[in-house]
Amino acid sequence: MIRSLSEMVEKVHSLKKKHHIAVAWAQDPNSVVAIHRAVSEGFAEAIMIGRPAEIKKICNSHDIDVQSLNIVEADNETVASAKAVSLARNGEADIVMKGLVGTDKFLKEVMDKDKGIMKSGAVLSYVGALEIPAYHKLIFISDPAVIPFPNLDQKIEMARYAIEMTQRFGIRKPKIALIGASEKMSRHFRNSVDYAIMCKMAERGQIKDCIMDGPLDLFLACDRKSIEIKGVQTPVNGDADILLFPSLESCNPFYKGLMLFANAELAGLIRGTEKPVIVMSRSESEKSKYYCIALSCLMA
Amino acid sequence: MALKNMGDLKNIVADKPRKKLVLAAAQDQHSLGAVLRAWNDSIIEPILIGDKEGIQNICYENGYDITGLRIIHEPDLDMSIEMAVKMLNNKQADILMKGKVGTSSLLKCVLNKEWGLRTGNLLSHIALFEVETYHKLIAVTDVAMNIAPNLKDKIAIVNNSVSFLNRLGYTMPKVAVLGAVEMVNENMGATLDAALLSKMNQRDQIRHCIIDGPLAFDNAISLESAKHKGIKSEVAGDTDLLLMPDIEVGNVLYKSLVFFAKAKVASIILGALVPIVLTSRSDSEQAKYDSILLSAAASK
Repeated sequence: MIRSLSEMVEKVHSLKKKHHIAVAWAQDPNSVVAIHRAVSEGFAEAIMIGRPAEIKKICNSHDIDVQSLNIVEADNETVASAKAVSLARNGEADIVMKGLVGTDKFLKEVMDKDKGIMKSGAVLSYVGALEIPAYHKLIFISDPAVIPFPNLDQKIEMARYAIEMTQRFGIRKPKIALIGASEKMSRHFRNSVDYAIMCKMAERGQIKDCIMDGPLDLFLACDRKSIEIKGVQTPVNGDADILLFPSLESCNPFYKGLMLFANAELAGLIRGTEKPVIVMSRSESEKSKYYCIALSCLMA
Repeated sequence: MALKNMGDLKNIVADKPRKKLVLAAAQDQHSLGAVLRAWNDSIIEPILIGDKEGIQNICYENGYDITGLRIIHEPDLDMSIEMAVKMLNNKQADILMKGKVGTSSLLKCVLNKEWGLRTGNLLSHIALFEVETYHKLIAVTDVAMNIAPNLKDKIAIVNNSVSFLNRLGYTMPKVAVLGAVEMVNENMGATLDAALLSKMNQRDQIRHCIIDGPLAFDNAISLESAKHKGIKSEVAGDTDLLLMPDIEVGNVLYKSLVFFAKAKVASIILGALVPIVLTSRSDSEQAKYDSILLSAAASK
């Protein structure tokens, strides 16, 4: 079982596979540095799509050998995104990554009905692996980035994506906590209703390979002491592997707060696509981008 | 503990002080016969309210001996119900039974805000069946009173039924929430409510029972069938109480058990200050007798 992001990177190294990553609108220093690290460590091959001159300039100023990256010229961010996606579609790339392009424009190409790389009928969502120094293992979170207010069907898919990811981390039966403000079921709280339905589905094998409980508050999900104090019987038992949040706006500040104040690190990916798609905010550090690249190689 | 047959109810009654049953509009041969038989068997102490002459005529024609029986003369039907209900409201008796009056006029009096028998709980019907092919008695609710209960109603119905079963000596009755299938299906509201009721039970929001659902009828009552489907459930195959999705399903089940399976049945209304025996004309005299027996066993 992989318990940290550095162990995740070790695992990727041990796979001895090289994945082709197409970066859309690639002239972004953080992305270039992160991808170069992955290339030099031998688990990635880069296809940098964007303005060659600018990419070369970044390489020079960071002591990066331009020859180690394949550069493809594109006039604008839309063309660059479409090119990256088409490379993934025709098999020349295994992973697509967003560079300096805006998320909306980039995802539009990913989701294009004819030229995109969505799995048919799939829900697009985001799963992140969060390393929190104060927690004894990685914790997987969903969805901090894509679905604002997931409905029941979307929540079920979010859970499935997260389960799928944890399996690659060697967690065979992940414990999923469906996060609410309290552990009580109230018909006035739509999320607690969805959660109760999902728990029964997990009990009946309609959602497989997990131990699910909710609603649970964060304490009950991640802290055994709180369980003892409250006396709530829950199979998650303060040992959650996955936290499923009721909304984007609850999940997003959760991880950002932990990154800001508790030295957490996040690696995340878009799910629902035929091939891994890396989308991160442009302000994210080179280290996070590197972790995302490693994660995408693990999932590819 | 579970009751095996109607005879077990007699043992419960034998251990209690004799309960007073008020028969409202008692000039009704069907109910009178059952009441007098229960009186002879020392199950209850009857108080008859109604048209004294009418009552005496019925008794004379059927050879009933009513020596020593308390009869209150009130020829007006509505007044006789009102008097009966007020008597129970004043705690002068323990059980209410309907004679020659319509159900709706009786319930109107029961629900009277000043002198009725309201507790703030929903009124619900419970039927207890002795079926040869099941290893113990099985309770079914609601087959006669609530037409299309919503989740809130179902919670109230379960609470009524569970506290009734607790009084009969079941410490943790097993409640199966019935669906057409044991899987959660978003298009079948009954399966969703079942999931919510299960969760509320797990969280101690519905107590003193074990709830599982959705369960299809076969896996609710047959362990073999539950095993065959791979259902892990404490309730499946050993149900004490079946919660019906609506009155149509409930009523058809009730009648199938009586007509096809030749089941013995006893039924009462719960949720009022006292148990109410509200059998219909089509019920056999035995069913009426067993219902009186049940009301005496359930009386506080």
